Amino acid sequence: MLGCLGLLVAAGCGRRAGVETSGEETTLVFKHSKFFGNPGAFEALLQQFEKENPGLRVKSETLPNSSDEQHQFYVINLQARSVDFDVLALDVVWGAEFARAGWLKEIGAWFSPEMQEEFFRAPLEAVAYGGKVHAVPWFIDAGVLYYRKDLLSQTHRDAPKTWDELVAIARQVTQDNPGLYGFVWQGKQYEGLVCNALEYLWSNGGNVIQNGRVVIDSPENRQAVAFMRDLIYRYHVSPQLVTTLTEEPSRNLFGNGKSVFLRNWPYAWSLFQQDGSAVKDKVGVTVLPHFPGKESAATLGGWQLGVNACSKHPEAAERLIRFLTSYEAQKALALAYALNPTRKKLYEDKDLLAAQPFTAQLHQVFERARPRPVTPFYVMISQHMQTEFSAVLVNLKTPDDALKTLQAEIDGILKQNPAANVSQ
Amino acid sequence: MKQRHPRQFLEPLCFLSPALVVLAAVTLYPILYVLWLSLQRWSLIAGGHGFIGLQNYVRLAHDGRFWNALSNTVYFTGVSVALELVLGLAIAVLLHRAFPGKGLMRAVLLIPWAVPTVVSAKMWGWMYNADYGIFNYLLGTQVNWLGSPAWALHAAILMDVWKTVPFVAILLMAGLAGVPPELYQAARVDGASPWMIFRRVTLPQLRPLILVVLIFRTIDAFRVFDAIYVLTGGGPANTTETLSIYAYKILFQTLQFGYGSTLAVVVFFCVGLITLAYLRAMRKAGA
Repeated sequence: MLGCLGLLVAAGCGRRAGVETSGEETTLVFKHSKFFGNPGAFEALLQQFEKENPGLRVKSETLPNSSDEQHQFYVINLQARSVDFDVLALDVVWGAEFARAGWLKEIGAWFSPEMQEEFFRAPLEAVAYGGKVHAVPWFIDAGVLYYRKDLLSQTHRDAPKTWDELVAIARQVTQDNPGLYGFVWQGKQYEGLVCNALEYLWSNGGNVIQNGRVVIDSPENRQAVAFMRDLIYRYHVSPQLVTTLTEEPSRNLFGNGKSVFLRNWPYAWSLFQQDGSAVKDKVGVTVLPHFPGKESAATLGGWQLGVNACSKHPEAAERLIRFLTSYEAQKALALAYALNPTRKKLYEDKDLLAAQPFTAQLHQVFERARPRPVTPFYVMISQHMQTEFSAVLVNLKTPDDALKTLQAEIDGILKQNPAANVSQ
Repeated sequence: MKQRHPRQFLEPLCFLSPALVVLAAVTLYPILYVLWLSLQRWSLIAGGHGFIGLQNYVRLAHDGRFWNALSNTVYFTGVSVALELVLGLAIAVLLHRAFPGKGLMRAVLLIPWAVPTVVSAKMWGWMYNADYGIFNYLLGTQVNWLGSPAWALHAAILMDVWKTVPFVAILLMAGLAGVPPELYQAARVDGASPWMIFRRVTLPQLRPLILVVLIFRTIDAFRVFDAIYVLTGGGPANTTETLSIYAYKILFQTLQFGYGSTLAVVVFFCVGLITLAYLRAMRKAGA
């Protein structure tokens, strides 16, 4: 496998195999992950683009399913200066990495500051590197808190604003309803654990990297990480099995009516509201709680569109991005696939609100979304965070030890590569 | 000494060369290439590419995560292979006796071995589930099998044992079928107890096959990846991270080809040493 990788490495941009410009017609290749649902709506959108742009054709190609494989695919091909695709959909955490490597073309002047105003702030931060924008936000995602409306009203409680309130409500409700879990979230050692943990750090005023300095070993973070552990061992509102949970198992627990609270992504909502769901019409959703005197935060997820720096048709590629991130296109995709648009105005759109009333509630969640550390070395840093946070959750390390270790490790990674550390 | 005619040499070489070329291309070249990579600083994310001598190996020696992965791997290999051998031998001896339904039993026995590892790992993941899994249900416990450092690696070992005991048993059954019945008869005539017969007749006769089984199982267990990756992903807190999982995360998640290759080379040499040790033991057994 590695042998083949070696052969791929070359200097300048390569030549495109297979698809080539024929006569007057230019073919753009668009790489993205699979849409869940009827592909017709997306195809119709591409056909509309082709109609509006005579001479341009779009060939859409789907990526492998797992995020690791997608990342591998992009890095290996972009590193080899592949010209086999022009427009690429990229995960929110890859922006800085790809931009530093020079694999993404800077987005043109059409994406003006005025236009950027129309988008949520967090995904823009995620794609800005070295003061330049390298991709346009396409879909947005962020962590939310689901709660059981019926159980909370039984105990005459509103949705919690602070973490302490969440603990108090969870304890009260589980006391009245034995056999229920209080609060489930994603505590397995994987990327999702980092997404969860950052929400605690941020909602206590902490951070990982600030202005290029590593600030993870702070009193705020120690308190936040200790609180995560205490949810399990001190307050007993989260069962020990959260250390095995990823998104789907935690969604299933809550969806089967076994938990009062759940931290998850917005996708879970429509599954709770399906016919036959044990919690249909019993679920409320709100922003995640915060520590006293601090502000709620939600980890940002989602997809951005960028132009391959080696693309032979950069101008046409940008036109496609401009089209796909337009108000109308985002609306069509939101209606067809329930993907959350990155343009703020769409959260007031009448058609969208009629079809998906849930979406409106997400507006304030996305306003509070924050990108994971924007650095080219995020995937390396994340692996260390996964290990250390996991060690705290299973009581192998104290929060102090874990954060000290992380401070040193992240520092080491950034110092090894000082020049690359322009942003944040 | 008789001088060999060059043709005697060339002719076989011509016949062998296609196979040699293929072997060199698919085995030798990748191995040498990974060795070469392990001497480089080469990370697709951090950029930079160049020869750095043995620096990756120095980094490895000081890498706590590597030593943790090595000790997990050795523990996993030692415990699972020992259990597999004992259980496999017991099953082989039991199934060697004639009884009705023997053929069916043998076929059933093979099922765990026949199921793809990823599928059985998913299945075991459900059985280990702390909320609705069958283990906690049957035992009446609330053990967090895959989520607690004390249990996770053992849970993975149990799954591996379940999966590969059939393989060991089938091989040893073949060995038992090859033991001459006269040996047993003679032992019985001499008044040996069943245990004595097992110790003095069965085991020595099976010895070469046991060594073959051990080579296969040890190498396989040492490179374990899919079973554990599906069950725990290496967590919690890297307590189930084996060398292969660590190498995977470095090579294919953070795309550090240089350092990742260093890890791969170390796994390669460990497996090589294990094989050499067994081969020596076999030669001794043969002598």
